[in-house]
Amino acid sequence: MDQVLTIKKSTEAGLIDLLTYLLKNKKVSGVCSLRKTKKQGKFDYALITDPELLHDVVPLHPLMPVNAGKMLSNMIKMEMPVAAVIKPCELRSFIELVKRSQGKLENFLLISYTCGGALPLTATVENKVDTMLPDYGKTVAAGNEFEHIREICKACEYFVPFNADATVSLLGETGADSTCKIFLHSDKAKEILQGFEVEKTEDEFDRTGYDQIRERRKKYKEELFKQIKIQDTGLDGMIDVFGRCIGCHACSRVCPICYCVLCDFESSTYDYDNTIMEQELSRKGGLRLPSDTILYQIGRLSHMSFSCIGCGQCTEVCPSDIPVSVIFRKCGEKVAEIFEYIPGRDVNEQVPVTIFKEEEFEEIGEE
Amino acid sequence: MKKIQTKGVKISSNKDYRDSIVDILKKMLQSKSVDAVLVPMRVPAKDSYAWILVKDEKLLTEADPAAPIMPIQGARALSSFSRKGQSMLKIAALMRPCEIRATIELSKLNQVNLENVTLISYDCPGALPMEDYLNDPEKGEKKFNDILKKLDFQNKSIKPVCKICDQFSLLPVSDLHFTLFHDQNNTMFLIANSNRGNLVLKEIGMEASHTVSAWANGIQEIKDKRAAQKKGRFTQIKKMVEGFNSLLATFSDCIGCHNCQSACPICYCRQCYFDSESVTSGTDLTMLKAKKRGSISLPQNRIMFQVGRMSHMSLSCVSCGLCTDACPVSIPVAEIFSYVAHNTQKQFSYSSGENKGEPIPLKTFKLEEVKGIQELVEDAEA
Amino acid sequence: MSTKIGIYICECGPNIADNINIDEVIERISSSEDYKNKQLIIKPYKLLCSNEGKEYLEKEIKDNELTHLVIAACSPRDHEITFINICKKTKLNPYLYKMVNIREQCAWMIPDKKKATEKAISYIKAAINRVLHQSVLIEKQLDSNPNVLVIGGGITGMETALSLASKQRRVYLVEKNSILGGNAQSFKNLLPRQENNTDLVAKKITAIQENENIEVFTDSKLENAVGFFGNFEVTVKSTKKDQTANEFVVGAIVLATGFALMPTEKLKKHAYGKDDNVYTALEIEQMMKAKGKIVLKSGKEPKSVGLIHCVGREDRGYCSRICCNYMLKIISYLKDQSDTILIKDFYKDLCLPHKYDQEYFDTMAKKKVDFIRISDITTKKTHITYTEVNGSKKEADLDMIILAPAMVPAEGTEELAELLNVPLHPTKFFQEAHSQLNPIGTSLEGIYIAGGCHGPQGISESVLQAKAVQGKIVTQLIPGEKIIPEVKVSEIIPDFCMGCQTCREVCCYGAITFDPERGICVVNEAICRGCGNCVGSCPSGAIRAKHFTTIQIHQEMKEAIS
Repeated sequence: MDQVLTIKKSTEAGLIDLLTYLLKNKKVSGVCSLRKTKKQGKFDYALITDPELLHDVVPLHPLMPVNAGKMLSNMIKMEMPVAAVIKPCELRSFIELVKRSQGKLENFLLISYTCGGALPLTATVENKVDTMLPDYGKTVAAGNEFEHIREICKACEYFVPFNADATVSLLGETGADSTCKIFLHSDKAKEILQGFEVEKTEDEFDRTGYDQIRERRKKYKEELFKQIKIQDTGLDGMIDVFGRCIGCHACSRVCPICYCVLCDFESSTYDYDNTIMEQELSRKGGLRLPSDTILYQIGRLSHMSFSCIGCGQCTEVCPSDIPVSVIFRKCGEKVAEIFEYIPGRDVNEQVPVTIFKEEEFEEIGEE
Repeated sequence: MKKIQTKGVKISSNKDYRDSIVDILKKMLQSKSVDAVLVPMRVPAKDSYAWILVKDEKLLTEADPAAPIMPIQGARALSSFSRKGQSMLKIAALMRPCEIRATIELSKLNQVNLENVTLISYDCPGALPMEDYLNDPEKGEKKFNDILKKLDFQNKSIKPVCKICDQFSLLPVSDLHFTLFHDQNNTMFLIANSNRGNLVLKEIGMEASHTVSAWANGIQEIKDKRAAQKKGRFTQIKKMVEGFNSLLATFSDCIGCHNCQSACPICYCRQCYFDSESVTSGTDLTMLKAKKRGSISLPQNRIMFQVGRMSHMSLSCVSCGLCTDACPVSIPVAEIFSYVAHNTQKQFSYSSGENKGEPIPLKTFKLEEVKGIQELVEDAEA
Repeated sequence: MSTKIGIYICECGPNIADNINIDEVIERISSSEDYKNKQLIIKPYKLLCSNEGKEYLEKEIKDNELTHLVIAACSPRDHEITFINICKKTKLNPYLYKMVNIREQCAWMIPDKKKATEKAISYIKAAINRVLHQSVLIEKQLDSNPNVLVIGGGITGMETALSLASKQRRVYLVEKNSILGGNAQSFKNLLPRQENNTDLVAKKITAIQENENIEVFTDSKLENAVGFFGNFEVTVKSTKKDQTANEFVVGAIVLATGFALMPTEKLKKHAYGKDDNVYTALEIEQMMKAKGKIVLKSGKEPKSVGLIHCVGREDRGYCSRICCNYMLKIISYLKDQSDTILIKDFYKDLCLPHKYDQEYFDTMAKKKVDFIRISDITTKKTHITYTEVNGSKKEADLDMIILAPAMVPAEGTEELAELLNVPLHPTKFFQEAHSQLNPIGTSLEGIYIAGGCHGPQGISESVLQAKAVQGKIVTQLIPGEKIIPEVKVSEIIPDFCMGCQTCREVCCYGAITFDPERGICVVNEAICRGCGNCVGSCPSGAIRAKHFTTIQIHQEMKEAIS
């Protein structure tokens, strides 16, 4: 049974009250949330320890300058938990990282929300966030799709958080601008907020109650996936899709699942002796430099695509406008399906790469 | 300072400049003057360009000697081949002047071996911003063709950092140079600017017998215009970054993706210092800082990375502009770094990419040179 | 094994105990939240450096099976090594220990006891934080080779070789010329007693040749030397046609390459041709040795001679120290030859540093010599134009002019310095490690300098330095003993190195080499002195300083900012 907190304020204001309570009463050592910066129209993630500074936070803004899961994984040693307000996909990526020993769940009180999608980075760059927000709020409250969110968000069917300690109800919550509804799922959350004096009732959070939205998203996903044709055309197709890749590895950098300190494809393993490259040159008559841009993509696909949670950061940063997130989600899902695996769903669910058996998938080789 | 060459080989004007250049490159392969040529080539999907090291001259027909965009810095492409190993392959690299200058800087950092490399430059009108080109590649192609045809070296559409570039033509370090800035008769010249260049001309049976003074004068006119624009633009840039608050405001959108560093030809480090464990402090230090200040911005050290990168590479910055192209939040990184680089290089009387033999001041600077900076700071604070 | 940190606070009698509340220190640290998950043993002791204290500490480390150790006491300069030695008697690696100064830096300098106690607590906590991130470092023991290579077969080199050579210590003496003896050979008489020189040098040469523990290579040069103190692999090559090379290992190298005189042909102030009667002092000495008298080019004896000191001193920027003395000697040669010779001695300053010099000068002065102090002088052939210090300008025409040119390092000094990575002083003589505290060592351990190559000096100083070098080598390079190279050195993380060689270029010890096969740089831990230049220069942070990593320093510093 979940505990439901109802605060007679806008959802954002109510959440801020909760965070203020936690910080003022030293229930948490800090709050990790989006906030307004000194520059008008600009936002960043922050770790806040002074409750007076909480008036700047905008925890529910549909922005993702960086994937918060990646940030949380860097916080290893903590005396007391930090309350973090993050999106469902960021939370899923954090769970994926926890599975790989790159983060500790006990360090956080994880607060998430039903997500109506994130705006692209350009919205902040062009200072359009403040003007878009009212429309965004209304559209999401009505359970509709805001046209300016990221393409990959329009294809996301996991907008209800898994593994949150608490969930803030936003999507389809028609009274969101006057009433704040927060569901406490875990004992940790209930205990920490025991002294938080607001209306508390018992209710079960209905995960299934968003089927219409889910169907809409799945349909969009199918359309989006159709645009990427790699599976039909093999290597030639790969060159068409990744031909303009410049090997900057920005996608890997911002990807929460890519946690390696030194990517294998950046290590000296792929620094060939030029006598070897000369042989290749003689064989083919021409050699692309720098080499291995496609290999890097295939490599990254095989290393992490089944854990891809579709946050879209990779597409946002790609200088060549390659729809990386769509490609990786498409490939990743196909592989994950075979294992009935959903990334970020369950911290005890093992990563496919650690559980597949020698005798499996022999049919793929035969094809 | 090397004397500017006054004679060149006249290249026939009835062909498109691209074909003329490819012809010469083919001759270089045929005469075994070089074993392979490094040139840009349009990718199969026709939406970008890649660097191809070509041995088979048949492939050269696909080459595009002056691509409208610079997705990958030529110096980086060359370095990926020549950095490691004892290959004796003779390569001719046809690159933009800024790519050649970056190559020279990398050779000083032992990331490029220039022993068997012939550097071929050409008059560069600038490159189009990647973003604009990617929106409509065909339109971009047309735009760039027009620019070359009309010799519009002051076109509005080129990258901001190209608009203030005054090193877009023959370099002291060029072995050979194509004068794309042709005359009214469409005549282009091939100039040999070194012993190596002269040797190549000989090997392909060409002789530099035409005066190029008209071309040289035309180029100088544009250089002067560009230099004036640079001065003006730098005055604006100065305001954007002078003082901590301005710096913070200008870089407020930075998400610490390090794209600028990945695209930069000078940034050769496998692991950037600002990603190393020396800088990425443990959580206990993060919490400590958060407690002291009341809050800290995450991810940490984004401004430190910017300023740190400036201090690490500005002595070698060639203002190629790939950093701005790569930035996902449209920060004008290239112009800012170009401004900083201009001033740090001036302080040590060093010009990046100009002289193969001159070591980078990083390793050879004297205390007296740094003292001058003290005065600069005091001036700025006054 | 679980972490167990032992923290021992020395009362140092009243020195620490009087001004630091040790009980409070113990209580605050034991109860600190920071260490609640760690096993801490924190105890006071009266005097840790006493015999009882040392035994106590040893027992504590062993009985408690300590994994880390912090000592809060006096200055590490006093007793860091004392406690390192205690660790070495136990299983505790001495690099998992940190000493903190709560005497000089807390108790002795902060009058307020409360504040002193706070600072002590802060220091100790910083040390605990640091020590928990320190790593085990293992000291290596290397065999050392007691043999010595001496480069230069002049007086200095020979003196060094003779002093060092023994059955347990072979000396290799390398001389670029065909004969030993160096510059000293040219002198007829030696100051101060005007002894006949020939015997002295000849005796030394004979002694060298008869010594079976000295191997001499004439017409030879040092081709290559790679290695470190106790283990230099050297190659000596003959300059003759056959170019035979000899390779051997030595533990130390002595540079005794001597000096030359500054060339005078191109001097603007003293223009002369080879037919003119203008000589350098060395040429006069050689003439005296060969002919027994000083004569003009015509063969006749000169009636008037001008001696000019400080030739080239302005150019070179230093005084050559021995010229005033030997000019007096030349005056004595001339006066012995004929006491009616007119002698004019032109000097800017008189340099008479030894206890016997003044007497010698007085004797010469009595011989009717015109000592003229000048501010400026030029000569053209044998015509002299000069300005005395009182301002009067004069001229003189003399039969012969003798110049005292500046002493400069011998030819080949720069190449040798480059080969061995030994720094040169701006005057191009070898640079000593420290002019007062280590005057015959160089920045490279195991390479020493003596004689004229060190700087302008006479034979007595050169021999003194040769003896000093002997003393150093005999005490540091003991046959049969092992050497322990520095263990707190730099290390390069191969995965992160891009082979740009910036580190190699800033290393003053030649400790970094480039491996072209792997395309990375490598630190030779035996040569590395742990100065950290390379750590600062690497743009990628691929070099770490062992025992001084950024993480260790951060952990120590966080106490200061919390």
